[in-house]
Amino acid sequence: MASSTILPTEANVAVAVPMPDILPPVKQRRGFFGFLRRNPTITIGASLVLLMVAIALFAPFLFTRDPTALAPALRTREPSAQFWFGSDMLGRDVYSRVLYGTRVSLTVGFSVAICASLIGLTIGLISGFIRAADAVIMRIMDGMMSIPSILLAIALMALTRGSVGNVILAITIADFPRVARLVRGVVLSLREQPYVDAAVAAGTRTPVIILRHILPNTLAPLTVQATYICASAMIAEAILSFIGAGTPPIIPSWGNIMAEGRALWQVKPYIVFFPAIFLSITVLAVNLLGDGLRDALDPRMAKRV
Amino acid sequence: MPEPLLVVENLQTHFRTPDGVNRAVDGISFHVDAGETIAVVGESGCGKSVTAMSMLRLIPEPPGKIAGSIRFQGRDLLTMTDREMRAIRGNDISMIFQEPMTSLNPVLNVGRQIGETLRLHQGLSARDAEAKAVEMLTLVGIPAPGRRVREYPHQLSGGMRQRVMIAIALACNPKLLIADEPTTALDVTIQAQILDLMRDLKHRVGAAIVLITHDLGVVAEVAERVIVMYAGKKVEEAPVGQLFRNPRHPYTQGLLGSVPKLGSSLTGTETRLAEIPGLVPSLKSKIPGCVFASRCTYATDLCRKVAPALEEKAPHHVAACHYAIREAVAA
Amino acid sequence: MFAYTVRRVLATIPVMAIVALFVFSLLYLAPGDPAAVIAGDQATPQDVERIRASLGLDRPYLVRFGEWAFRIIQGDLGVSIFTNLPVTTMIAQRIEPTLSLMVITLCLAVCIAIPMGVIAAWKQGTIIDRAVMGFAVLGFSVPVFVVGYVLAYVFALELDWLPVQGYTPFARGFWPWLENLILPAIALGGVYIALIARITRATMLEVLQQDYIRTARAKGVGQKGVLFLHALKNAAVPIVTVIGIGIALLIGGAVVTESVFAIPGLGRLTVDAILRRDYPVIQGVVLLFSFVYVLVNLVIDLAYTLFDPRIRY
Repeated sequence: MASSTILPTEANVAVAVPMPDILPPVKQRRGFFGFLRRNPTITIGASLVLLMVAIALFAPFLFTRDPTALAPALRTREPSAQFWFGSDMLGRDVYSRVLYGTRVSLTVGFSVAICASLIGLTIGLISGFIRAADAVIMRIMDGMMSIPSILLAIALMALTRGSVGNVILAITIADFPRVARLVRGVVLSLREQPYVDAAVAAGTRTPVIILRHILPNTLAPLTVQATYICASAMIAEAILSFIGAGTPPIIPSWGNIMAEGRALWQVKPYIVFFPAIFLSITVLAVNLLGDGLRDALDPRMAKRV
Repeated sequence: MPEPLLVVENLQTHFRTPDGVNRAVDGISFHVDAGETIAVVGESGCGKSVTAMSMLRLIPEPPGKIAGSIRFQGRDLLTMTDREMRAIRGNDISMIFQEPMTSLNPVLNVGRQIGETLRLHQGLSARDAEAKAVEMLTLVGIPAPGRRVREYPHQLSGGMRQRVMIAIALACNPKLLIADEPTTALDVTIQAQILDLMRDLKHRVGAAIVLITHDLGVVAEVAERVIVMYAGKKVEEAPVGQLFRNPRHPYTQGLLGSVPKLGSSLTGTETRLAEIPGLVPSLKSKIPGCVFASRCTYATDLCRKVAPALEEKAPHHVAACHYAIREAVAA
Repeated sequence: MFAYTVRRVLATIPVMAIVALFVFSLLYLAPGDPAAVIAGDQATPQDVERIRASLGLDRPYLVRFGEWAFRIIQGDLGVSIFTNLPVTTMIAQRIEPTLSLMVITLCLAVCIAIPMGVIAAWKQGTIIDRAVMGFAVLGFSVPVFVVGYVLAYVFALELDWLPVQGYTPFARGFWPWLENLILPAIALGGVYIALIARITRATMLEVLQQDYIRTARAKGVGQKGVLFLHALKNAAVPIVTVIGIGIALLIGGAVVTESVFAIPGLGRLTVDAILRRDYPVIQGVVLLFSFVYVLVNLVIDLAYTLFDPRIRY
């Protein structure tokens, strides 16, 4: 190229005018704290969930008294230094009951999330891999999903004695078809992927394909779905208890406290109010966590923001 | 000399992304005269489509940002209000896109989509707009226009859809037509038909055309002047014949080298299809010297250090390369 | 189109059969002895036996299901254990308040949620978007009875704008009827609005990325035209689908809302039936709601052609 007589040097060439920056530089945040900064919903949701877990674990040490201890002389006291959240119509301390109620809600929420995910995952995998079973299983799932899940749980609870275990069972039965459907969808779309085809063509056995290719890819949507199920299960438990078809009244759960406060709510709203606040915050925390995870785990959704 | 139809000066279009600012277009200047056809060529990702979109301010802001000036008939498009801009879009300046399959709205019928432009800019009634739409369909060579006008895009073939796009673009007799890869997605035979149609209509309507393409065959066929873009910058500009005969910038030479010559295998002059080694550099970090230095076989330390300015290497022929031959010196 | 409709209607029959089978089988699936549970703690063994016989638990499963299904097809949902009235009669007495509540909630939710979602998508990333999304998360998180109590406390007890509780039949005038339903509808609508607003926003964001939206802007179409004509029509199918699916939330929520606002509808009937362990009534209500749900979604499915000309059967 350089056939001109004068060799170009820094001194004699025309220099391009540098272009200005029209946008401020983007701050890059890395590491664990960078992740938290970039995902405020996960941060807020996770810290609130952890707080609730701590409250549930350490309820006996948080200045509570026996949540079932009756004190008929001290009925329906307004919130005060003695009863931080007031007392209910049997003189029980609402503060203690609400704190212990965290245990029931979290137990139900987490148990249902785990059970529904495991059952749904198994059924979804079977349905996605075994053509013969698919039609039958999915028709049954469709049928189950046609029954509004709270109604299904109510119907189940009406036939059993109220216990936390039965509540978990009822809500799990109402919720797992959704997981099964999700997993089946993921499996079917993955089966179309060239690398799965290649693995099948190469003679890889089905269990190996499931373990190596399918399971890792279902994990992200499954986790997100599990958080949503956890949130809706906590609401479902409260609804069941509230209408008298859930946790036995002897156990302080948020739904039970509200059910007991219901008769008096026009004059003593705080009995309903405090468990309502706790329930809402806990469900909100889990939902925020779910939204944050979805945005962080689903690159297609994340790209939009 | 009167001012050209369109004058673009120091156009910059940057985007905010999570991992840095993408300088998709970084300081492009060019002009288009009335009735002229110019081509903007370059590899995918060189910023040619973003340039086209910026000219109609179709870049979403944020995350994008446009700076510089785009003067159309003496008025700067970048300082116009949204309302003024809307009055220009589809009326004075219109655009055809690369993907005819996805560029038409699937839930509105063809007549409605053509008529919409007419109703917006010429205030036609729904009935008049449909009548005019039938006329436009006839003009772009769609058989049975009276029936087609009521059909939906999925009922049409790719070539027909691109004809509909052209009908939409030309409905209001624009002064400037921006065509972003109008034939890339089509079969070769259809490509030729669409190019013929564009050329024919250009004469009838008298619009200037800015043709964005990576297809040098198309450039040779229709353009009068060519702008070569690389990594968001203009690296060379010349009248079409001159560019093909005597490319100055190593990047342009590489581009021309990578076009197979028809019949070269018969004449025995078959050469290996040249390719440009390497990849387009990331536009998210600032490049100190020449943008092409990382892939240029002639690059020296000077190139990597000092960015070359665009210089007139021959009459009407500019290139941004320290080592490109200057006519005055070489001749 | 006609052939498709017929096929689609026929295809819901197996689904409904499975629903019926499932609701019927709950008696057998439930852990423990349902007869003993229904009879209650003070029941004598004779009472338990009587209930077992009336539920048919003493006879073979399939025989019993056959008989039951045959009666269902004829519109006979059985007799209440508690009141001895036919379940269909009890449902008929209670259906108006529930239907009113659900229809008002549905209209309210659709009218609020779709513009919310559209605006959030348009103003993506701004304060407005964040506010809508924040509202949506709250809507999902605050249970319906909490919203109900707060609304009733503020607007009925404190401000005294609207009645606290109760229901006035439509026959007694439009305003008295509506007045009683405003607060319950808002409370019940919260989750539903959140759901529809979110799907509207998500679908609109997806649609606004499409090439044809760019074409519309390049033609000079204004913001409103782009959003509500070009984009929303393309987003309609997923939105309408979710409106249909979300009716399940309305049904579940109605049970609670009616308790909070003392509305004598099917929800109250369900809650009372639970307290009395009146299983035939629960079964009847669940079955009715499920069938309505399946039917609504069938109608929505058939309505897709209205929104998208590409869907042809």
